[in-house]
Amino acid sequence: MNWVGLQMLRNDRAKFAAMIVAVSLAVFLMQNQAAILATMLSMTAAQIRDVQDADLWVTEPDVECFDQVKPMRDIQLLRVRGVAGIAWAAPLLKIDAIGRSEGGRLNTVTLLGIDDASLAGLPQKMRIGRADAIRELDTAIIDPGGHELFFPGEPFRAGRSVRIRNRRLRIVGVSDIAAPFTGLPMLHTSRSTAAAFNLGEQHMTSFILARSAPGGNSGEICQKINTLGGLRARTTEQFAADAMWFYGSQGVPMLFMVTITIGLIVGAAITGQTFLMFIKENARPISMLKVVGTTDRQLGTMILLQGAVVLVLGSCFGSGIAAAVCNVIRTQPFLRSLYLPWEIALGTCFALASVTGIALYASFRHVRGLEPAAVFR
Amino acid sequence: MTSPDSTAVLCTGIRKHFGEDDARVEVLRGVDYTVRRGELSFLVGPSGCGKTTLISIIAGLQETSSGEVSLFGNHLARMPHPERVLFRRCHLGFVFQQYNLLQALTAAENAAIPLLAAGVRRREAVDRAATLLDRLGLGSKTGSFPRQLSGGQQQRVALARALVHEPRLIICDEPTAALDHATGEAVMELLASAAVHPDRAVIVVTHDSRVFHFADVIARMDDGHITHVEPGQRTVANPHLGSSRNSHPSA
Repeated sequence: MNWVGLQMLRNDRAKFAAMIVAVSLAVFLMQNQAAILATMLSMTAAQIRDVQDADLWVTEPDVECFDQVKPMRDIQLLRVRGVAGIAWAAPLLKIDAIGRSEGGRLNTVTLLGIDDASLAGLPQKMRIGRADAIRELDTAIIDPGGHELFFPGEPFRAGRSVRIRNRRLRIVGVSDIAAPFTGLPMLHTSRSTAAAFNLGEQHMTSFILARSAPGGNSGEICQKINTLGGLRARTTEQFAADAMWFYGSQGVPMLFMVTITIGLIVGAAITGQTFLMFIKENARPISMLKVVGTTDRQLGTMILLQGAVVLVLGSCFGSGIAAAVCNVIRTQPFLRSLYLPWEIALGTCFALASVTGIALYASFRHVRGLEPAAVFR
Repeated sequence: MTSPDSTAVLCTGIRKHFGEDDARVEVLRGVDYTVRRGELSFLVGPSGCGKTTLISIIAGLQETSSGEVSLFGNHLARMPHPERVLFRRCHLGFVFQQYNLLQALTAAENAAIPLLAAGVRRREAVDRAATLLDRLGLGSKTGSFPRQLSGGQQQRVALARALVHEPRLIICDEPTAALDHATGEAVMELLASAAVHPDRAVIVVTHDSRVFHFADVIARMDDGHITHVEPGQRTVANPHLGSSRNSHPSA
């Protein structure tokens, strides 16, 4: 009988198509908005996660995210290095400044000063050039979005320069780091070069990057550092989570959730109503099926299968469109970090299925209540 | 006198009302009706006399207010609902005035519905239905959809659907009402030849006096009663009734 149900559904092409389109659009809208939200939140932690050689971040106690900079005294670095279980610790300097390209383009930039000796925190992946070329004085590597801002439309090429506070910084490579939440160009340079731009500031350490010794428990090491006083140590994932929570708690997710909810309600309403209409318009054939001995269980399975086909096809189309749109958007340098996690893809489909399930249940109740004898009238 | 074994349908004192108090409408007022195995029984009467309600009750689609219905010795009212549905699936076939074919299915697939409902595999069910359609003269139309068939052809598909699972009782509701005279005659001819069987009874509800000559028995209803039962003038003698043809218990 399930096959009969599928044939009935297929035969009503207009409603079948309308339901699939409604599900597809709802799934696309929800996945697209959820992906943007997830990407935005992950971008707030992108610079933390990009550092892969260290597994611990040490900051001033009240720092919540990467964009909050509170300079630390150099003595703090020595204190961290003195903690048992620390393999190494290195300073990272973060400065915001105004940069100007050779063509005269002005942009606020984020300068990351990497420890000259260890190069801890250096980007692991490069589009062009070598990351360790920043050992040379007054050189830097730039991220793809920054390159686009300073040199729009031009291919990646080393040798260009960006002028900051009357000093010329030569670009020796383009990194492949995740796009930053601020959208500002990210320039990685040596700490000694960056310090030259940090005018008026006495302390040249924004964060301390550390690595726990092999076999060490990073959680326990963090606790040891925290007990020193005046320092706050977190694992990379803890710091990333804190950063995402910090931005996430400022109301932006709520705006996205409104759109996602609208997508869910509109998609489920259109799908549910069309499905209910489909069932009501087929009341007579369904009554006939009841008369010839089709059980409520068989009809229930039939309805469930019809609903499942609509949801699966619509979800596949919607997810496909969302993934395709995501891939197109990712080609933009500033939006290169956009991604569609499978959890979101699955979650949105499940959410829509759950709400549409109410309409399926209503349809089943309608079918159960159909008077089979009506077929004689 | 007819032996109980020869009785297919036995309705005794069937009463049915809808609504209560001032809105109460008495549709059936104590109907006694018998159909024997192998018999083609016509139920005739004016609109609103209760014919459709009576066949709905016989088919187990509606409850009686009082009275008993027995089909081949089984009391439908005493069966739990699921069992009644299964009984209907196995032992009853239906032909409707409006054919009620599923537009999404071919003729053979439509005719196979009772088998599919019974869990027979699709290929086997459709093959069996196609064989039956062939016997009913629709061998070339098994793959056609209802919209590609004439009214008479659609009714023959409906007839195949009623017969395909070899039920013991076939209930036809105005099977010729939507057809012209010649097509109606042809459908009735087919019904009389294909449906009548020693262990099967056929009830035909109709207004169409032009086909009365197919009946073995004609039960006339009026105002919720069976007022008169008379032997039909079946043009082709029904071999399944034998000598009892003129001794109908309801007469």
